[in-house]
Amino acid sequence: MNKMILYKEWLKTRWILLGIAVVMAALTAYCFLNLTKVVQIRGAELLWEALVTKETVLTEILRYVPVIAGALLALSQWIPEIQRKRLKLTLHLPYSQTGMLAMITAYGLVALTVLFGLQALACAWAMGTWVPAELVARMLRTMAVWYLAGWAGYLFTSALCLEPTWRMRVVVLGVAAGALRLMFLSGVPEAYNGFFPWLLLFVLLSGGLLFSGVARFKEGLQD
Amino acid sequence: MKNYGKIFLIASLALLFFWVVPWLYNLITLKPYSTPFTLYSCTLHDFASLDRGEGKEFQFIDTKGNVHGDEAQPMFYAGVLASRGALPDTLEGRAVSLEEIERNAVIATSDPKDINRTLPPVYLLMESVPERLELKDPEDALVSRSRGIDIVKMATNEIRADKTALLRQTLQEQGFAYPAKLFSGKPSHRKAYDEGYLVTDAQDKLYQFKQVNDTVVVRHFPEADGLALKFVMITEFDNHATLGYLVSGDGRLQMLLPDGHVIPTEVSFTPEKEDLLIVGDLFYYTVKTSTDEGERFWALSSSDFSLVDTLSRPYPREGSFPGIRFTSANDGWVKPRLTL
Repeated sequence: MNKMILYKEWLKTRWILLGIAVVMAALTAYCFLNLTKVVQIRGAELLWEALVTKETVLTEILRYVPVIAGALLALSQWIPEIQRKRLKLTLHLPYSQTGMLAMITAYGLVALTVLFGLQALACAWAMGTWVPAELVARMLRTMAVWYLAGWAGYLFTSALCLEPTWRMRVVVLGVAAGALRLMFLSGVPEAYNGFFPWLLLFVLLSGGLLFSGVARFKEGLQD
Repeated sequence: MKNYGKIFLIASLALLFFWVVPWLYNLITLKPYSTPFTLYSCTLHDFASLDRGEGKEFQFIDTKGNVHGDEAQPMFYAGVLASRGALPDTLEGRAVSLEEIERNAVIATSDPKDINRTLPPVYLLMESVPERLELKDPEDALVSRSRGIDIVKMATNEIRADKTALLRQTLQEQGFAYPAKLFSGKPSHRKAYDEGYLVTDAQDKLYQFKQVNDTVVVRHFPEADGLALKFVMITEFDNHATLGYLVSGDGRLQMLLPDGHVIPTEVSFTPEKEDLLIVGDLFYYTVKTSTDEGERFWALSSSDFSLVDTLSRPYPREGSFPGIRFTSANDGWVKPRLTL
């Protein structure tokens, strides 16, 4: 049954995952080709100078990609389920409803994590050819909150899809907007270092909204 | 599970309320507040503040309320006075020239936001004695690590083994304790000369790292030992009057002279909380520290940094809406902080 659920998710998301992967790869390549050009023309010293003296990690072009990727993946997973209330059928399968929801969500989070991880690895490898590990780590610590925003985008979009009433959807939307604003409040490198564990906890706790939405749906609450 | 969702959303909305509503309230109600530019005057022997109210002439007001013209600040407006032929030949009982005044003009600033942030342990290293006299962009960088300091060639991202070994040997001979704590330098060619970096080690001892002919020369300042330095700033001013400004553990501003002597001043300064502005001239240094609550001024003699006069000016307290803020003008971090 587990394999069937995962296969179903794969069928729903394979094209969007491919699209996200292509866009992420293209943007990452674009970002680092630009930096390569800078190094060829002005030397790697310019990258060092920018990373050390300016408020940049040189990969800011990738900042909003994870959150958009997260939202798109959630839509690709849940829109087929909520269209014509197909979710009812899914929930009536001979499988724990909580387990099913957890597996679908875990599939999305793992898929995103793999994509984010590959992008982060590519960035670290490329940047590591020009600057020392200390500056690469600074870039990765700065990008970590962008990836967390990707998870938040995924979980809040999923919660919005699964919430059966518009009134509560507005509330979820407000909380999602506030949480995402918080994650993009500052462009200063490593600004979120100390706060990151708390933000991570908040994002993980927001995953409970999916389960409460389904519980409300099962109670028959809907507009 | 239904209740969990409600509790999570209510808690999140409450947080959102205490974040957004005070921000909106303060955005609408708080009015900008500025204080007049104030310097100690060598002609009045008093603090004089610039007053440029609507329809008013360019004028200065001393602490007794007397109004003066540009001549109240002949050091700061020397160029303007000279263009009018109004620059005095003699000040404080000695002859002065425009060139001498301009060479001794000193301005230094410090902002808590530049200190309270996570900075990379990488420091661009300039050549202090460039072959063709003009300062050039750095080619190497110091990378401070827990086990030592490496010198890395930026073009290739490779450690310069010989140069690093020599630096480490020199540091060992001078008793430098890793890891380095504070670094202050200005790796820019937009200055007259380069003094490298002022560095404190793990035991708060003060050193200078300066690259001379492709070798990092290290100088220890024994007079600063035991000061428990919490702030260092390299100065590199045209007049070479100081090598740096230091703040000791007791919050006292200290002047580091090029010969290695450290002169304590009466100025108290908390670098991680207060803004600092130092405007110095041939005769006096005006040191201003400011927080959200007000500003304090010290006038110091330029010759020995002894205290000449003080002034304090509290800011009006405006009521602000209590709540939660995630950013601050005093640091570069995002984290929750209560405002009352």
